[in-house]
Amino acid sequence: MGPLSSPSSAAAESKIKAKQPWRCSPSRPAPSPHPSSSVRTAARTACASPPSPSPPPPSPRSRRRCPATTPPPRGTQTRTRPPLFLRPATHPVPASALAAFRRRAAALVPASAPHLHRHLRWLLADASTTSDSDPALFRAPLDHIESLWLGHVRARRPFQYVVGNEHWRDLVVAVKEGVLIPRPETEAVVDMVKGVEGFGGGWWADLGTGSGAIAVAVARELGDGGKVFATDVSDVAVEIARFNVERYGVQDKVEIRQGSWFEPLQDVKGKLMGVISNPPYIPTEDLPGLQPEVGWHEPKLALDGGRDGLEHLLHLCEGLSSALKSGGFFVFERDLTSNICASIWQTNGNKQSEFLVDLISSKWSSSFRDVKAVLDFADIKRFVTGYHR
Amino acid sequence: MALFLSRIRRRIQSPTHHLLSHGAALASLLEPTGGLPTTAVATLLCGEPARLFSSSSTAAVAAVPMTADGLTVDSIGSKGWTILPEAESDWRSHAAAVAQSVKVIKKRLKVRYSHDISCWGSIIERAKQMALVLERPDLWDDPVFAGRVSREHGELMGRIKSVNQFEQELIEHIEMLRLAREENDNALETESMRALADMRRSAKEKELHALLSGDNDSYSCFIEVQAGAGGTESMDWAAMVMNMYRSWAQRRGYTVTVVEEMPGEQAGIKRATIKVDGEYAFGYAKAEVGVHRLVRISPFDSAKRRHTSFAAVAVIPILGDGSTRYQIKESDLRIERFRSGGPGGQHANTTESAVRIVHIPTGITATCQNERSQHMNRASAMAVLQCRLDQLEIARQAHINAEHTQSLNEISWGNQIRSYVLHPYRMVKDLRTNYEVSDPDSVLEGDIDDFILNFLSSSLDEADVSA
Repeated sequence: MGPLSSPSSAAAESKIKAKQPWRCSPSRPAPSPHPSSSVRTAARTACASPPSPSPPPPSPRSRRRCPATTPPPRGTQTRTRPPLFLRPATHPVPASALAAFRRRAAALVPASAPHLHRHLRWLLADASTTSDSDPALFRAPLDHIESLWLGHVRARRPFQYVVGNEHWRDLVVAVKEGVLIPRPETEAVVDMVKGVEGFGGGWWADLGTGSGAIAVAVARELGDGGKVFATDVSDVAVEIARFNVERYGVQDKVEIRQGSWFEPLQDVKGKLMGVISNPPYIPTEDLPGLQPEVGWHEPKLALDGGRDGLEHLLHLCEGLSSALKSGGFFVFERDLTSNICASIWQTNGNKQSEFLVDLISSKWSSSFRDVKAVLDFADIKRFVTGYHR
Repeated sequence: MALFLSRIRRRIQSPTHHLLSHGAALASLLEPTGGLPTTAVATLLCGEPARLFSSSSTAAVAAVPMTADGLTVDSIGSKGWTILPEAESDWRSHAAAVAQSVKVIKKRLKVRYSHDISCWGSIIERAKQMALVLERPDLWDDPVFAGRVSREHGELMGRIKSVNQFEQELIEHIEMLRLAREENDNALETESMRALADMRRSAKEKELHALLSGDNDSYSCFIEVQAGAGGTESMDWAAMVMNMYRSWAQRRGYTVTVVEEMPGEQAGIKRATIKVDGEYAFGYAKAEVGVHRLVRISPFDSAKRRHTSFAAVAVIPILGDGSTRYQIKESDLRIERFRSGGPGGQHANTTESAVRIVHIPTGITATCQNERSQHMNRASAMAVLQCRLDQLEIARQAHINAEHTQSLNEISWGNQIRSYVLHPYRMVKDLRTNYEVSDPDSVLEGDIDDFILNFLSSSLDEADVSA
C-alpha cells in the first residue's frame, strides 16, 4: 500500500470526528454575506454553512417554517441525531390519529401534484416500521412529522432532507442539509467507470464526494486491491460521506480525505486509475433562478460553478494530468445550459459541452485521448470522459 | 410392545431404495384387483414388510387384509368402504380415503409427466432414464438442457418418493392399529387412529399439490389486471380484482409488490401489475387468466342503474435464472425515463424515477415506477420485460402446450371465465367449471382457492380424457 497506509492529517482528523457521525459542526460559520463572491473563497470560509439567504425567499412566513434556513430549530434539534429514516421507532401512533394526519396532509396538496402524494406515502413509510400494527410505531412524534411535511410542502424543503435519504442506484444514501442530494443523472457515472478496463483493481478518486454516493457505489463494485479516495472540503460532507461509507461497510475500500479537489491527494499523484467528479457547475448568475428546493436549501458550495459554471471544471482539468497514471480514465459531470450559452448558442444548447471537450482535446491534446461528451438519459450532453495518454 | 415400536421406528428410517419396489407392489394393490384372489393381494402387500419385520410379526401382518368385519384390503383401493366424514373415528374410512387420494395423486402425476405412458411403473422407469441422461459426461455442454433435465428429474424423484413414503406410512398405521387392537393397547390405538386421520387430511393437500406439477408451476409470477371499456366503473372493478389477488396472495403467505400502477382519473386503476413471490404462485394464479365480469348497481352512476363491467387478468411466470429462454440484446431496447425538461442535473430536485423499457423488435414494453431510484426501476422493469419475452418464447415454442397462458394483449374480451353478480342476486360463478358460491364479499376479499382448485382439477381431468 505504500504511502496510502499513512493517511493525511486531515483524513486522520476526520476519522476521529466520525466517531460522532451526526454531531453538528461546532464551528458552523454564519451564512456568507456574499455568496456570489469567489467560490473558492466561499469554500474555505463557509464550507459548512447552511444555504445562504441570498436569493430572496418567497415570504417571511414560509421561511420561518423551513428548518434549513432557520438556525434556531436546528440548534435545538440536533446534537447527535441520525436521519429520520434510521431513528428508532418508539412513538406509538394510533390508527385513527394516523388516518386524520393522512387526511390533513393530503388536503394540503392538489391532485395535480402526484409527486407530493407520492412523497407523503414515502414519508410515512420512512418514518414508521413496516408492520401493520395498531398503534403504528413511528420514528418521531406525529406532530413533528406534520411539521416536517409542512416544511416540505410550504417551505419547499427537499423531500430527501426531510426523510434524510435519497434512493440512488441500489443504495439508500443518507443526506442532510449541507450536502448535495445525489442526482439520478449521476447514477450513470458508476456504469461508465465500471466499464473501464482494469477497473476493479485500480485506485480511484471521487473529488467533491458530498454524500459519498459515488464513492460507495464504486467501492461496492471494486475487486481486490481497488480503492476510492473521496475528497471534500466541507465538514458536513466529510461527516455524511463517512456515515454512508460505514453504513455500507466499505471502510476498507473508501478513504475519505478532507480538502479541496486534488489537495489531499498529493501522496497518490500519478497513481490513480481514474478521477470522477461532479463539481459545482451552475453559473453563479443562474443561482437566483433555481428551483426553490435547490436554490433555497442545497449548499451553494456544491452548486456554484463560478462564471460560466466552468471555474471548478477547468481547475479539475488542470490537475488531471499529474494525478492520473498513464492510461487513466476521467469522467466529469457538467452542464451546458447556462444563460450565457443559451444566448450565444441558442440553436444548440448542447454546444457548450463540446466547448469543454474541444478545450481538453486542444489545450491538453498532448495529455489526453478519446475525449468525448456523453449523453445522460434525457439525451443531454451531461458528462465529459477521456483517457490520459 | 416397546420392541415392536422400536422396529417400526427403525423401519421408518429405512433407506428409500426399499420404497420403490414396495411402492410398485402397492400400486397394483390400489388398482382394482379384478379376479385376483385375496390371498394373492395379501402376499403382494405383505411381501416387503415381512422381509423388514422380524419373522415373529410376519404371521401377524399376514392377517391384516382380512379384518374382523370381513373386509379385504383390495376394498381400500376400490372404494369398498364408505368414506365417512373425517370426524367419524373409523379407521377403514380413513384408510379408504387415503387410498383414494393416493390413486388420484398417481393419476394426476401420470397425466402431467407421461402423456403416452399408461402406468405408474413407467413413470418410475422415466425417472431412471433421466438419471441415466444426467450421468452422461457431455451433459453440461448444453447447460440449459442439463438444467432442465436435472430440475425435472429432481422434481419427479421428489414426487415419486413422497408418494411411496405416503403409501408406506398408510400400511404402517394400519398394521400398528391392528396390533394395538390385538394387544388391547388403547393408548396406541387412539394414537394410530389420530395418525390415520392426520394422514387423511394431508392426503387431501397432497392431492392438490399434485395438480401443480406443470413446468413452471413452482415459480413466482406477475399478475396483471386491466380495466375493460366503461370508464370509472370498470376501473373500479379492475381495482377490486387487483385487491382480491393481493389479499389472496397475502393469505397464502406470498410476498406481494406493486410493479406498475396506472390509476384511473376518478377511481380505480386502468392497469396494474403486481409481483407475487413464493412457491407455486404461478401454478395457482394461472387458473385466473381471462376476463372477469361484474354486475352491480354502480356507485358511480347517479341514476343507480345496473352496470356490467369487465377486467382482464394475465399471469406471467417468473422463470428461474437457469432456464431464462429469451436472450435480450441491449441494442434492441429503448429505455425511456422521466424527463423533467429543463437542464436537470444540479439544477433540479426531482424524485420522479419511473422507467419504461421498449423491446423494439416485438414492441413489448415494461414500466416500473414502484422503486425510488431510476436504477432500481430499470432493474425491475427489465425483470418484467424478461418475463414477458420469456412468456412469448414459451408460447412460440409450444403453442399447443396447455401450459401456455395468454398475455393481456391476447386475451379477448369474449373469453369470460368468471362472473361476479352483486345485484339483483348475489353469486360468483366460474363459467368454466360451473362452480359457484353465494358470498361474493368473501371471494372479493381473496377467498378464491376453491375456484382455483376446482378449475385446476377439472382441467386436469380433461387432459386425462383427451390423452
